[in-house]
Amino acid sequence: MLSFIARNSIQKVITLFFVSVISFLVIHLAPGEPSQVDPLNPKFTPEMVERFRQQFHLDQPLTIQYAYFYRDLFTGKTVSWKDNQPVLKKVWERFKNSLWLFVVGTLLTWTLSFPIGIRSAIFRGGPYDRSATFFSYLLISIPGFFFAYVLIIIVVTTLHVPVIDMETFGLGSPPWYRWVMDRIWHLLLPSLLGATGGIAVLSRYVRSQMMEVESQDYVRTARAKGVPEEQVHYKHALRNALLPFVTMFGLILPGLIGGSVIIESIFAWPGMGRMAYEAILARDYPIVLTVNFISAVLVLVGTFISDVLYMVVDPRIRL
Amino acid sequence: MTIRKILIIVPALIIVFLLQSYFWVPTYEQQSRGNPDRLNEYITASIGDASLLNPILSADSASSEINNLVYEGLIDYNEDLRFRGRLARSWKIYEEAFFYINDNASVPSMGKVGPEQIIELLLKAKKRIPPSNPQEKASLENIEEIVLLPAKEFVITRLEKEGKTPGQPKEITIRVTAPPRIKLVLKEVDQFLFQSLSRILGEDYFRTFNGEKYVRITPEIDPVKRSKVVQEALPPTEHNPVIIFQLRPDVKFHDGHPFDAYDVKFTYEAIMNPKNLSPRLSDYEPVKEVTVVDPLTVRIIYKRLYSPALGTWAMGILPEHLLNDEALKKEAIQSGKDPDKFSMRQSRFNRHPIGCGPFVFKEWKSDQYILLERYDQYWEGPPHYSRFYYRIIPDPLTQEMEFYAGTADAYAVRPHQVERLKQDPTYQSFSGLSFGYSYIGYNMRREPFNDPRVRRALGMAIDVDKIIEYVLFGQGERITGPFVKQTDYYNKYIQPLPYDPQGALKLLEEAGWRRNPEGWLEKNGKRLQFTLITNSGNELRKAILTVAQDAWKQIGIDVRTDILEWAVFIQERVNKLDFDALILGWSMGIEPDLYQLWHSSQTNPYQLNFVGFKNEAADDLIIKIRQEYDHDQQVAYCHRLHEIIAKEQPYTFLYVSKWTAVLDKRIVVKETDAEGKVIYKKITPTKTGNYMFYFNRWIKLPETPLFSGEG
Amino acid sequence: MIKAYSENYFQKTGIEKPLAPRESRWREGWSLLKRNRLAFVGLVIFLFFFLTALAGLFLTSGTKPVFDPAVVRLEEKLRPPLSHAKLEILSSDRVPRLGLYLFGTDELGRDVFSRMMQGAWVSLTVGFVAVGIAVLIGILLGGISGYYGQNSIRTDQIFLGVILLVGGSLVVMGITSLGIILLVIGGLLLIFLRWLKKRPVKGLSNAWTRLLSIRAISIDTFIMRFVDIMLCFPSFFLILTVVALLPASIYNIMIVIGLTSWMGTTRFVRAEFLSLRDQDFVTAARALGVSDRRIIFRHMIPNAIAPVLVSATISIATAILTEAGLSFLGLGVPPPHATWGNILSDGKNFIFDAPWLTFIPGVAILIVVLSFNLFGEGLRDILNPRLRERS
Repeated sequence: MLSFIARNSIQKVITLFFVSVISFLVIHLAPGEPSQVDPLNPKFTPEMVERFRQQFHLDQPLTIQYAYFYRDLFTGKTVSWKDNQPVLKKVWERFKNSLWLFVVGTLLTWTLSFPIGIRSAIFRGGPYDRSATFFSYLLISIPGFFFAYVLIIIVVTTLHVPVIDMETFGLGSPPWYRWVMDRIWHLLLPSLLGATGGIAVLSRYVRSQMMEVESQDYVRTARAKGVPEEQVHYKHALRNALLPFVTMFGLILPGLIGGSVIIESIFAWPGMGRMAYEAILARDYPIVLTVNFISAVLVLVGTFISDVLYMVVDPRIRL
Repeated sequence: MTIRKILIIVPALIIVFLLQSYFWVPTYEQQSRGNPDRLNEYITASIGDASLLNPILSADSASSEINNLVYEGLIDYNEDLRFRGRLARSWKIYEEAFFYINDNASVPSMGKVGPEQIIELLLKAKKRIPPSNPQEKASLENIEEIVLLPAKEFVITRLEKEGKTPGQPKEITIRVTAPPRIKLVLKEVDQFLFQSLSRILGEDYFRTFNGEKYVRITPEIDPVKRSKVVQEALPPTEHNPVIIFQLRPDVKFHDGHPFDAYDVKFTYEAIMNPKNLSPRLSDYEPVKEVTVVDPLTVRIIYKRLYSPALGTWAMGILPEHLLNDEALKKEAIQSGKDPDKFSMRQSRFNRHPIGCGPFVFKEWKSDQYILLERYDQYWEGPPHYSRFYYRIIPDPLTQEMEFYAGTADAYAVRPHQVERLKQDPTYQSFSGLSFGYSYIGYNMRREPFNDPRVRRALGMAIDVDKIIEYVLFGQGERITGPFVKQTDYYNKYIQPLPYDPQGALKLLEEAGWRRNPEGWLEKNGKRLQFTLITNSGNELRKAILTVAQDAWKQIGIDVRTDILEWAVFIQERVNKLDFDALILGWSMGIEPDLYQLWHSSQTNPYQLNFVGFKNEAADDLIIKIRQEYDHDQQVAYCHRLHEIIAKEQPYTFLYVSKWTAVLDKRIVVKETDAEGKVIYKKITPTKTGNYMFYFNRWIKLPETPLFSGEG
Repeated sequence: MIKAYSENYFQKTGIEKPLAPRESRWREGWSLLKRNRLAFVGLVIFLFFFLTALAGLFLTSGTKPVFDPAVVRLEEKLRPPLSHAKLEILSSDRVPRLGLYLFGTDELGRDVFSRMMQGAWVSLTVGFVAVGIAVLIGILLGGISGYYGQNSIRTDQIFLGVILLVGGSLVVMGITSLGIILLVIGGLLLIFLRWLKKRPVKGLSNAWTRLLSIRAISIDTFIMRFVDIMLCFPSFFLILTVVALLPASIYNIMIVIGLTSWMGTTRFVRAEFLSLRDQDFVTAARALGVSDRRIIFRHMIPNAIAPVLVSATISIATAILTEAGLSFLGLGVPPPHATWGNILSDGKNFIFDAPWLTFIPGVAILIVVLSFNLFGEGLRDILNPRLRERS
């Protein structure tokens, strides 16, 4: 076990190093310069642009820039080119905002997928199963922003309440419970939208796992023994079907960052995805690289956790 | 079965809990009822976030919108776009002009004369019966004082780069033994002063002055450069316009520190400090010096005639006590940074600004909002709104949704949305001409755009009125030249190009382009073919691109189109002059200075006259406008310049769009009349189309009031 | 998750029937497909979409197309679907086909139907080319990894590779002289090593040769680690970064989507190859002295391709959605190419004034993507022998 962990972590660190190199190269070899200075602003002279480049080490060879960047990142000194704010502070602020979306979204995904998937598996081939299948594909197939707009417009025009942003503006200073409820209301739509894809995929997966397990011999045996149908499903089958999902807990970590760009832009949600997207547009390299690095770390940590969980849960596996 | 129950109950509970939160959120109508404070808040939505809340460092529109509320300039523009005093109570502009005594030249009928005789001659000329030439008369009457400055010696040392080879600049020493000089104090700035004086002192008096013999440079430099250095050290004549600002007493910054002339001087110095990389540097480059006469008087002397100078003082004034070297050093040490490298750009001040404008900065959450609060000690009386929120909502459609939900009072409303909201009795809408125009620019270095007939024909083939009516939903007006349409500088007598495809074809035929059997225009077997480009991300430009392509195709021109990302568009195409025709827009200041955009010296790569417009008469007028301080005279020059540009058609001037705004009807102007009675007025835009002009007097009411005169 | 899937697969498809006649397999699949109604509908829509796209390509291009998507009729802007053109204000060559705006007009009075027809082909191309790139890379790398995986890369090869790579990138970066020198050295080294292999020189000490021929890393590990590295990037974010940094063009978008989505296929093909390698028919072929190339192309790829195609079908759906998402952020396929994605994102500004501008492309994308998904899923069921037995 320990040797596995040691070997695995070394491997992950090496992978991380290559990820950092590749992301650095992708960004710095792309054509164009950071738009810190608006090129058409008649008020910027070439000398000033040159000075900006010096200030950001852009005149140095790539290897040195790389060293500078990751030295600054690990010492927490990196600053955003756009507003000179420390990157880690910015990322942390945004991370807290994204975290709420992520938590509620994950909660919805994981609580809804199981009942839907299990029921589908029990009544496989029936009308419930077929419509569930159809709807889950519908949810996967709908362009996210289109769906978001339709929902927003329906809610705002019928209910006349705000849904954008993290809170209702102009509330003044309401009592704390109202404040909490207000925040929750604003969380509802974006997290629901973020969860739709997940619910669809996960419920399908639950369904196939259940079907897989239910066709196994011991389930058949239990049934033959005369165990009540309900008990067969929920006790014998479900418990074993759950096994692979334990490992998936690790794999949801990267969801904290990826995939939320569109939802966050539409809902004016000040999260990581939107910050990263705006940083890309402004070519604010420190932010882009930091977010990339963090998300790579999350992926690696996620797979690591899932590997470990797999070992813990399934005694047959020795890595 | 418990597991089954749990599996169903848990998600149900979560969903119910999430849904019930709806009942706690106020609807549009309840916004103010539940929370009376909401009426004292103004929430505006913007697409982008501000970058730096420091007027001398920021260059983007979001930042300047906030800066205008937090900072106060010395002056600004009033309802009629004339200057009015803000932090400056009043100001005076006059001129000091200098010339060196030229001992080479001979004065008519007197021969070579010394300085005393020159002064005598000028005084006599002033007293003499007025000369027939009106310009000379005006110049002489304008002279208030004549002073003789004795000969003096001085030394300048400076770094000079050697030739074109890069390397260390070397230090050169310039020793000047200057001849006596005459200083003329003028009541008003007079760009023709020396022309007038040369009628008295002789045509060649100023021209033949040769500074070379008074100057010794060690070590020697090459002759071309030498004469340039001499010209700078000993200019034969010199105009020094002077502005004296009388500052308003008892104005305080938001932190309570009094505002005075040293802050003005500091702001100027901060802009000029190369460490700060201020984008406004070029505006203040003509300033020779800023001196504090007394704490409430500041004198600004300019190196040369530069009529846009006064307008630059509308910029916000920084508090010296928070940003001077000492304060910055302290901050650098506190935050553990190298004090030598630390500049104003890194200071936390840029995110916690302090000025003396009507609103005090409170909080800034990146990409969420900026919160300002009313400044109760504002010198003009505090605004009615107690809070100002600047929300950042990146999507135009969701901005509209927030507006409907009552959590934004204003947003960047699009013309088609105004069209729809106009009918709604809940809202009031405004529109007015903006300061800028859209155009199609042609690269006049290339065939076929070097022919003005072709440019005119291309313009005539596009139905601009239709673009305004359908693409802009009527929110635009035609424009014929490069000046702001609502100012006097704009020549209103010039007619826009008519929409006339047949006429365009005739013009093209004159220029040698004929239709071939397939319907394409041809000249010497070559098809009329070019590429029209614009930048991505601007829907209007994209629409114009499509319309223009279609319109030109109809008269047989084969147009390709390309939409490029902004950075590529500017850096690869515009800056390198690699384009045929492009669609762009200029947003302009009110000042009629067109030097950078239209002067023939600005046609090189990386300069702004990228279409390559060169016209001698226009060059002359552009310089004159720049140097003229008299409004009426300036207007006359501008009208002539406008005519020339409209004739040449280097651009197809399309339209000036209108800004649009929609507000809740409950937002009104609140005023107190002489008897102390509160009266409410409807918000009306000023003559120049600025509806926010009286923003400080706005307030939101619980109900729409009945206005007097409306019944 | 992908990994778990592919391993399941390899268990499920474990037993192949290489001797069974080909037709019966197709026919069996067909009958199964007809029974799976959702998948069948998916196939029908998929074919319909394909034909529409093809028709769109021919009907909307050329100098005088049947449906001209570029004609601007400002007076006719924002007309609702099925409205008749106002013949009195339009010149004859600007009237739409049938005198009718089937899907209405957009904010510039262009016929939405024509634009949708034109966009169908572009959207389809984006999806197919992107997935084609991904599948090609996936099969190539997965195949190498699965078939030659045990072979190792020697130190001298790594050394050579690094020299050539650094030289190449230096040339690209503009430090030409140094780069060319490195490339030349690399070339000479390559020749030298070849020559060294053929006739070992006694003069060179044994230690050196040994050092140069240490087996540093197996090809399989190398490729799979590379896959791991690529999987560390959040894919949409990576696509976004690259697309935003590169000049906008339809080719860049296709290439970028392709280059960022091959990892699944690679793992998949590798697993498939690993299992096929040990099958009897492959062993037999090898014993008969059949060349590697023939084994791979004649025996292994045909057996591994079916599940790859299934996942490709679903990937196309994802690629179309990705393109739409990019369009929404303003980074999609630039004009003059109309795609359903950018018609949708242009139309959303007018959602209150002209809802059809949003709903027609939105629903069209939904239906097409749905059909791809359903069809792909149906195929997967058919190819899954276990389900086949049961039904």
